[in-house]
Amino acid sequence: MSLGTPKIVPLRDLAARVTDGSSLALGGSFLHRGPFALVRELIRQGRRDLEVIKQSPGYDIDILCRAGALGRARAGIVAMEGNFGLAPWYRRAVETGQIRLEEHACASLTAGLRASAFGVPFMPCGGIHGSDLPALNGWKTVEDPYGSGETVYVIPRITPDFAIIHANEVSEEGDVRVYGTSHWDRIMSRSAKRVLVVAERVASGASFRDQPELTLVPHFLVEAVSIVPAGAWPGSCWPHYAVDYPAVEAYMDDAPGVLQAHLDTAPEAREAAHV
Amino acid sequence: MSEWSAFSYVVTNLARFVRPNEITFSGVNSALPMLACLLAKRAYPFAFTYINVAGGVDPSPSQVPISSSDPVLAEGSRSIFANEDFYDLCTRGQMDLCFLGAAQVDGLGRTNVSCIGDWHAPKVRLPGGGGGAVMLPTARRAVTWRTEHSRRTLVETLDFITASGGMHGVVTPIAVFTKRDGRLVLASWHPGASLDEVRDRTGFRFEADGAEPTPPPTPAEAEALTALDPDAGFERDAAIRLR
Repeated sequence: MSLGTPKIVPLRDLAARVTDGSSLALGGSFLHRGPFALVRELIRQGRRDLEVIKQSPGYDIDILCRAGALGRARAGIVAMEGNFGLAPWYRRAVETGQIRLEEHACASLTAGLRASAFGVPFMPCGGIHGSDLPALNGWKTVEDPYGSGETVYVIPRITPDFAIIHANEVSEEGDVRVYGTSHWDRIMSRSAKRVLVVAERVASGASFRDQPELTLVPHFLVEAVSIVPAGAWPGSCWPHYAVDYPAVEAYMDDAPGVLQAHLDTAPEAREAAHV
Repeated sequence: MSEWSAFSYVVTNLARFVRPNEITFSGVNSALPMLACLLAKRAYPFAFTYINVAGGVDPSPSQVPISSSDPVLAEGSRSIFANEDFYDLCTRGQMDLCFLGAAQVDGLGRTNVSCIGDWHAPKVRLPGGGGGAVMLPTARRAVTWRTEHSRRTLVETLDFITASGGMHGVVTPIAVFTKRDGRLVLASWHPGASLDEVRDRTGFRFEADGAEPTPPPTPAEAEALTALDPDAGFERDAAIRLR
């Protein structure tokens, strides 16, 4: 029986696969189980003109804006959450035209990803009627060709260059296990051209075979994996750790040197410096 | 008899929209509806299904989290009902009650969570679409809240229509509105305020026949909120004022 090829690479090498201008579907939601170590590594490597595709980005989109690494975004709802309110550098980036936003409802973004995952050019999405969003985005309606009389909005296909997911555990071959909610990670992993994963730790291949129903993404969909304990910092990764609120609060300080200090104190900073 | 604080008024009156044997949802950026759902579980003598954005289904969280999307809200859950699941539930017409955020609300119960000013050159870029545009028109009932009751939050004309379909209920620190014949009407007002004050501070026109001062919190409601927020941390963080 084939064990497949080991896919574990250093975080630096994982980030190096992402070129300037790439579109990134980032897993997790707000401060929870986001691929934040990889996002920070992209900033350290000086990536530019990236696009975030995510239903509920927060810290990730904000820090990319703060570092000048983002050019575009397709997003549903953007906030820091947890008493921190709006994402300030994202807000400024949109208000000043530093980034170009395509505003979605979370479910319309999912519909676009579903179109990609299902191999069709567009996907119906419920609701939306009466909203100003369709006019803004050029979304069209179709009448039910089977005669129910219902009219439904159809969202064009959204195919991210990368889905980037932070997972609890991976196998050496790149099978991906997530505990708790998968947020939007599953549809992201099926819609993107390439899937990169950061995980807390390696688990045995045998453990994946014992409980295959816990595997969110099978190895053959995954290109490469990095192991970064606490890589979702300053967010949470259930059940390993909770949000580090003092660290988020320190990040929110708009003073010279704060961003660099934040990057330098991140859990993966040692790996990035020495591996 | 307990009296209202601005904080308990908003949380408890959100909870009063919860009905027996229904499916009720709270989402991201929604600490007050999260508290309302947990309060309803403790205070009301009926069963309902509480689902949330952390994937929880009738969870028994070991603590009440600051973030309303915290994975703690799936502790003790009997299932993980993830994001795609609850959106699909809503669009196929099975979401009974959905709490959705709003920056501006108009008299038809439509909402703006996108921008203040012109969308293309916003004075303030707000969080954005989120659940509203899909959930507000498809949920059986949707309810929103504002911690500021003013003519800039309750408006005659929205700066941008993010979501249409009409809120079933709106709760502010001084008033509870519900929908009647497609328009928001005043259901009740904070006994520390007055009908005149509500009119003065509301940007849209509304009818108020049948409205009266909001009944005070019941002992069960007051006890439940105290149990959920024993050191008043949420009340301090929310910083809601009557005026």
